[in-house]
Amino acid sequence: MNAIEIENLQKSFGTRRAVDGISLAVRQGEIFSLLGPNGAGKTTTLAMLSTLLRPDGGDARILGHSIKHESAAVKASLGVVPQDIALYMDLTARENLDFWGRMYGLRGGALRQRVDEVLEMIGLTERQKDPVGKYSGGMKRRVNIGAALLHKPKVIYMDEPTVGIDPQSRRSILDSVVALKEQGMTVLYTTHYMEEAQELSDHLAIMDSGRLIASGTQQELIQLVGGLDRIRLAINGDVERVLATWRTITGVKQATVEEGLLMLLVEDSNQALPRLFESAAAAGVRITSVEIQEPNLEAVFLHLTGRALRDG
Amino acid sequence: MARILAIAQKDLRQNLRDRKTFLFLLLMPAAFTLLFGFAFGKGSDGRLAVGYLDQDGGLFSPALKNLLQADLRLVEQPGQSQADLTQQVRDGKLAAAVIIPAGYSQQILADSPLKLQVIVDPASSASATLQAALLSDVGRLLMAVSAARAEGEVDAPAVESRLAAAQREAQAASQTASQADAAKPSPLQPSQTSPGMMAQFAIAGLLVASQLLVEERKTRAMQRLLTTPARRAEILLGHSLSIFVLILAQLLLLILFGQIVLKLDYLRLPWATLLLAVTTAACVAGLGLLVGALARTDEQAIIFSMICMFLFAGLGGAWVPLEVTGSAFQTLGHLTPVAWVIDGFKNIIARGLAFDSVLLPAGVLSAYAALFFALAVWKFRFE
Ligand SMILES: Nc1ncnc2c1ncn2[C@@H]1O[C@H](COP(=O)(O)OP(=O)(O)OP(=O)(O)O)[C@@H](O)[C@H]1O
Ligand SMILES: [Mg+2]
Repeated sequence: MNAIEIENLQKSFGTRRAVDGISLAVRQGEIFSLLGPNGAGKTTTLAMLSTLLRPDGGDARILGHSIKHESAAVKASLGVVPQDIALYMDLTARENLDFWGRMYGLRGGALRQRVDEVLEMIGLTERQKDPVGKYSGGMKRRVNIGAALLHKPKVIYMDEPTVGIDPQSRRSILDSVVALKEQGMTVLYTTHYMEEAQELSDHLAIMDSGRLIASGTQQELIQLVGGLDRIRLAINGDVERVLATWRTITGVKQATVEEGLLMLLVEDSNQALPRLFESAAAAGVRITSVEIQEPNLEAVFLHLTGRALRDG
Repeated sequence: MARILAIAQKDLRQNLRDRKTFLFLLLMPAAFTLLFGFAFGKGSDGRLAVGYLDQDGGLFSPALKNLLQADLRLVEQPGQSQADLTQQVRDGKLAAAVIIPAGYSQQILADSPLKLQVIVDPASSASATLQAALLSDVGRLLMAVSAARAEGEVDAPAVESRLAAAQREAQAASQTASQADAAKPSPLQPSQTSPGMMAQFAIAGLLVASQLLVEERKTRAMQRLLTTPARRAEILLGHSLSIFVLILAQLLLLILFGQIVLKLDYLRLPWATLLLAVTTAACVAGLGLLVGALARTDEQAIIFSMICMFLFAGLGGAWVPLEVTGSAFQTLGHLTPVAWVIDGFKNIIARGLAFDSVLLPAGVLSAYAALFFALAVWKFRFE
């Protein structure tokens, strides 16, 4: 049974096609990740799925309710964690949760009890009486998530919930996402961190420039890279110039720069590496480190788009 | 309904947590009322100290002096010249001076009354007070003279008895005996400034309310609200309700302040006072939602609120009573809600009128409230 079914969803802003006809299905009780770089259209997709934006074309069903025609039913079954920290900074965590709980129709003792539970879940019971504005980035993110959980939604969207926080807070958020799944919730999770998508997802889809360029389980996606090897190299020279030459070397399928390192997909590293060293020597640069890795989602993205998931 | 209340309660909680709210909504209006009300009315009785020189000594000057004394504290020193008075005004010992020119009474009888001579800094607020007092007192004198003349007996006792009768009538119109001596308010006494400042600073509530809306839009909490089952109408009503409650509470506190500290009898007609407070608060709620709808940034929220406040308060007679202005200005002033707020409250505390005298102001304020609310709903953006 599918919790979310998206059919040919489209949205343009002026001439820019932010979401350009995507279709996918999310099964009930799974974590589904939408992985894509900045501007891929993840937030726009979620905005349509939460009835904030009206699609230009296509439709989607959330637990069987059309986002176009049954927006009230869709909203009632959803929890939405926005990409921005959409909270009241001058109110305490408790007051914020209490308010959002009331927006979802909770009140009285049930609300109080649920706020207690959620505070516990996001680990902020101790600090519940401090204004959210005084919290660290990670704590704010956790309240941002908590505010979407009060009514125990069956389906929850999380839009890049770990952006800009310390590793410890990120760990705790990832753990709580898994905990939500264990409680039977369906999670649609967007991110541009490949590691997160890899760790969390049952299924995932890769999005770029408004389109889904691949979707499936992690295994299925990695098979797309087939027998290719992934090589990361550091050099002590002009990366861009070397990149241009290496793209023309036989056996090199894709080459790009990520965080100052050269990242290559090659057919066979045994044959490719000597050629790379040769070419480097000819160009007068030294290769200072080499790492041969298993293909991962990063490699899939590179393979399909010729670009790195994260630029710089 | 539960959501509307939750939103209103949340807004109020945010407002009360902000010190600005108390400053703008309570401290400033109370301070300004006291300042305007008493700074210029030297002496504890709150009347202006005005030098008085009678160069006429004619038939009607005692009656005129009598009238003036109700509004002004006349300071008369034997042997003073016009030059002495001018000096004293310049030195700030007197707020102003009035000189009854020689032949004043004679010229009234000849049907071409002379103007009273006035020494005052035209830029000072005492000027407006004085002009208003002179205008009404001279008017009364001339009316009494012409009434006496119609019955063929133009002498001082006849005129004075007519003035006394008119005074009694005015007192009878004002229902409480204690109101009697305050029946002729001078423009910058608390009975003028209290409603004026109340109206002006009720509009200052826009500042607090609209900034809240701008902030909610900026943090995208407003957009988040739309992902919950809360409907747009509930969100708008919740925000309006919070402004309404805030301003109503403000007005009721300022009314109590007026009643207790300034000894203004707002509670003479409690229901009329409440009706005006409620319609004023509704009007500000509509306007607050409108400013919150139009302002894209914090700065814009502040600027729009300030423009509303100064424009409405200035034109509406919160600073200079509309009574002392020309008819064109009065008409213009009554295009602002502030003029109607002041009118309504003055009908209660100064003019001694009955309950139905606040129905028109309250009606106009309700119409403004509906207009502002409709515009706000039309223009409201959630993102
Ligand atoms: N309200 C809008 N008006 C105009 N263009 C928009 C609007 N919202 C998004 N876009 C454009 O649509 C494209 C997709 O944006 P979107 O925010 O959905 O991407 P994203 O995948 O969420 O990116 P990020 O990882 O940076 O959050 C971008 O090119 C963006 O500039
Ligand atoms: Mg986004």
